[in-house]
Amino acid sequence: MSNHSKSKTGPPIVGVSKNMERVRELIEHVAHTGLNTVVFGESGVGKEVVAQNLYQKSPRFGKPFIKINCAALPEGLLESELFGYERGAFTGAEQKKKGKFQLAHSGVLLLDEIGDMSLPLQAKLLHVLQSGGGFSPLGSEKEVQTDTWVIAATNHDLKKAIDEGKFREDLYYRLNIIKIHVSPLRERPEDIPLLIDFYTKEYAAMLNDRHIEKPSAQVIDRLCVYSWPGNVRELQNVLKRMLVLGDSNQIVDELLNGERTSSPTSEATNGPNQQVSLTQIIDLDGKNSPDNQSFSLKSAKKEAVEMVEREIISHVLAKTDWNRSKAAKILKISYKTLLYKISDLNIIPPEK
Amino acid sequence: MKKPFKLLIIDDAEEILNALTNFFTKKKYDVVSASNGLEGLKHIEAEDAAFDLIITDLVLPSISGVAIISIAKKKFPDTPVIAITGWGEHPESLAKEAHADHVLEKPFKLPELEQLVIKLLADE
Ligand SMILES: Nc1ncnc2c1ncn2[C@@H]1O[C@H](COP(=O)(O)OP(=O)(O)O)[C@@H](O)[C@H]1O
Ligand SMILES: [Mg+2]
Repeated sequence: MSNHSKSKTGPPIVGVSKNMERVRELIEHVAHTGLNTVVFGESGVGKEVVAQNLYQKSPRFGKPFIKINCAALPEGLLESELFGYERGAFTGAEQKKKGKFQLAHSGVLLLDEIGDMSLPLQAKLLHVLQSGGGFSPLGSEKEVQTDTWVIAATNHDLKKAIDEGKFREDLYYRLNIIKIHVSPLRERPEDIPLLIDFYTKEYAAMLNDRHIEKPSAQVIDRLCVYSWPGNVRELQNVLKRMLVLGDSNQIVDELLNGERTSSPTSEATNGPNQQVSLTQIIDLDGKNSPDNQSFSLKSAKKEAVEMVEREIISHVLAKTDWNRSKAAKILKISYKTLLYKISDLNIIPPEK
Repeated sequence: MKKPFKLLIIDDAEEILNALTNFFTKKKYDVVSASNGLEGLKHIEAEDAAFDLIITDLVLPSISGVAIISIAKKKFPDTPVIAITGWGEHPESLAKEAHADHVLEKPFKLPELEQLVIKLLADE
């Protein structure tokens, strides 16, 4: 999976909680406005789903939807990814490259983890927003004019970040024309049965409707009392494990026991990076099933390689405390390659 | 008798919303009040929306006053909008950019606001 794609359609917003209804209602009312928006919520709660739904309901649907993770890249690279550069703008800039701002022209730019953007880049972003979307790519004299709907997402309390001097107040107000809060899953357990239902059906369809066992009512009840530190993303992983391994009760036991014995910052938070079987990694029974029209060895291989790379790089980064130059040495790739991989594979640093 | 002017007032601080609503109702305005941006937006989007003037707080949860101003000015360019801001909040310049007709800082005196309303309604 690459970190941007054109007119990708995401899932609907599943849930019956007050929070989900409110989110859906807000989307209905603001999607047509194209006003700067910030989506707040913990990791895995569905911020990106909200952004995709805003896009799908807007007149910009069908135009590019570009996502960039502001936490994954150091300042200089993030700047060149966002705004692009001319050939020769800096050492290594062998050819001209368009920035994501420009690629998202007439569509949507999702700035994920905006709270992690450095102050100098915040200043530049503010300037671009103030000027109505104009900027010069690095090393270029010419100003490009873009019409991009900026949606930002964050799991930080930006007000607190302002007080700590880590986030610009003027940028905060400029981005926060519309604010959408997505509550953690533990605060809306009534959504859990619906999400289980939705994703069981979805995974069943991927498995070409081969008989798969939906978790029993009793298992679902137990899943509703779990605290889901990794939110919906963790629920998806647990569900996949249940569908693949079939031993739902044992899996719930482990979840609930793990919760009692470990701190909330342990394993479960790393939802996306959990250990899974190879068939599952490649999703041979699902999205990449040879029974699917879109199946090809090449595409399945590409996806598998990306997933394996993501897994290994995440592992080494975790081992080195996100010391990227150490990690690059261990992986025997250049520092720059590592940074690009972190961005392209959408590997997210742990919360500080 | 002349039809009263219709005002939409949006503020999430209950005491301020009540004070403004009571004040303008007593002065014989037809007041519609909303305690958040979404509620206010629904009034603006309503088919029978025919406000002579809108007063909105700038910092509101979810849909900000700046959003209200942008949306209202797009739909009703001739309807004057007054933005009111709280202490230590700084989206005034955004309100101006969104074409608010006037930005009034809290604290203000109610008669001061009324004078402004009368002036904007007369200019219209
Ligand atoms: N309300 C929801 N309905 C359906 N799917 C959801 C919902 N919330 C989250 N998801 C799914 O959970 C996963 C994580 O959501 P995502 O939007 O990436 O979270 P975030 O951006 O907040 O980290 C995605 O696969 C997403 O489709
Ligand atoms: Mg996300």
